[in-house]
Amino acid sequence: MIHLDNVTKVYPNQNRPALDHVSVDVDKGEFVFLVGPSGSGKSTFLRLILKEERPNSGQIHVAGKDLARLSNFKIPHLRRRIGCVFQDFRLLPNKNVYENVAFALEVIGKPRKFIRKVVPEVVELVGLDGKAFRMPDELSGGEQQRVAMARAFVNRPMILLADEPTGNIDPATSIGIMKVLDRINRTGTTVVMATHDAAIVDSMRKRVVELEDGKIVRDQSRGVYGQAY
Amino acid sequence: MRANFIFSEVWIGLRRNLTMTIAVIVTVAIGMAMFGVGLMINTQVSAMKGFWDDKVSISVYLCSKNSAFENCRESGAITQAQKDEIRNELQSLPQVAGIEYEDQKQAFEKFKNEQAGNILATVTKAEDLPESFRVRLKDSSQYAAVVGLVKGRPGVANVINQKDILERFYGLLETFLWISVVLASVLVFAAILLIANTMRLAAYNRRRETGIMRLVGASNLYIQMPFLLEGMIAGLIGGLISASMLIMAKVFVFDRVHDYIALTARLTWADVIQVVVVALVAGVIICAVAAFMTLRRYLRV
Repeated sequence: MIHLDNVTKVYPNQNRPALDHVSVDVDKGEFVFLVGPSGSGKSTFLRLILKEERPNSGQIHVAGKDLARLSNFKIPHLRRRIGCVFQDFRLLPNKNVYENVAFALEVIGKPRKFIRKVVPEVVELVGLDGKAFRMPDELSGGEQQRVAMARAFVNRPMILLADEPTGNIDPATSIGIMKVLDRINRTGTTVVMATHDAAIVDSMRKRVVELEDGKIVRDQSRGVYGQAY
Repeated sequence: MRANFIFSEVWIGLRRNLTMTIAVIVTVAIGMAMFGVGLMINTQVSAMKGFWDDKVSISVYLCSKNSAFENCRESGAITQAQKDEIRNELQSLPQVAGIEYEDQKQAFEKFKNEQAGNILATVTKAEDLPESFRVRLKDSSQYAAVVGLVKGRPGVANVINQKDILERFYGLLETFLWISVVLASVLVFAAILLIANTMRLAAYNRRRETGIMRLVGASNLYIQMPFLLEGMIAGLIGGLISASMLIMAKVFVFDRVHDYIALTARLTWADVIQVVVVALVAGVIICAVAAFMTLRRYLRV
């Protein structure tokens, strides 16, 4: 599903590569934690998959497509198959829960009938039934993140990328978030989650890829956050 | 494409950016009006040229007994032999289409009609007015041979080429034409800068929305369309205002001038409609292109 082959990324005006000859394979339906300290290259990894950045060398295949050969014109179609969740939620403050989720479908031109059908389903899936008409500032951080996950998942992407989704959320609420991610993963969606949260990684017992200074230092199935911590 | 979604976005964008949008509209309106006035002057000048070209003639005024012209003082009044000679020589020129002779009586009648009611008409006598030849040319630009033949000749008081008078008038109109073209270019330049700024503000105002749109895979066209339409609507409104200004220019300036001095070729409504359409289309296209160029900088893929 995601295939990186010897990928190196150096940002302009920087000597040290953000990713240094990284090769990873993620299969369909897998759940992968991407761990490592700040600046280890986790976010770069995710941005490369979205083709927000281009690698300096190496090959990236996502959902069967060679990103180097994907024209700018087709990037939006790639992104429709990838959902994204961030630490800072990125909700539209002037739209309610329903509208925030529906927005993701409106802007890719889905018919209104379809939107009216699937949005309530997804809102329920993330555990926000009954709160569809709340505004983001009336929700807790955990609830806002659920809205973001609903928006990322509403178009049934093949891949869900989560960049520290529990970074702004207390540990108790994080467990709920992880349950939603797990539920999404069980529908067959590949999930890649970058995180610092050792407790979550340890409790989930999923595959762990550890980055350090842009290199992969560990790739374990059913791993924990790290012996050193 | 969901049209109502895009239009609601456009409406929100126009409202949020109202001051900048008004600035764009005003600049485009005045710029396009100047541009249109330039086109109208151009049409007017070529219409007048077409109208006058086969009507202008060269007047060759002949010396009478008490002509004040320097040329006449030495030679005195023209003799019949000189008159015949001039007529024959003029007639033999290939550029000449025809010659009319006007004697003092005819000149006096004409003068009385033109100056009716004027005190000058009551004190002027037929002998005060000169006899003249009216030389019509096949091509009004080929006047040099005629003027060269008669000018300064004994018995010829003065030569007036009507074309010279018209040329001076065309020259004046052409000056106005260039002024309006220069003003129009300056305003179009200002409009482009204003649109660039408006788009930058609009892109900044809506960076959350566009960021999410990018993320969920909205196409570039879909993301840019509201901005483009905003620019085009501002251009269209500006163009419509310029259209009304141009119609007013036709009614209150061109037609008035026509009434005062008989320009003889009136600017028709068909000409005005053509100019208005050009101004409208140019306004929209300039705004769309300027918006598109700016968006490529501020809304990257």
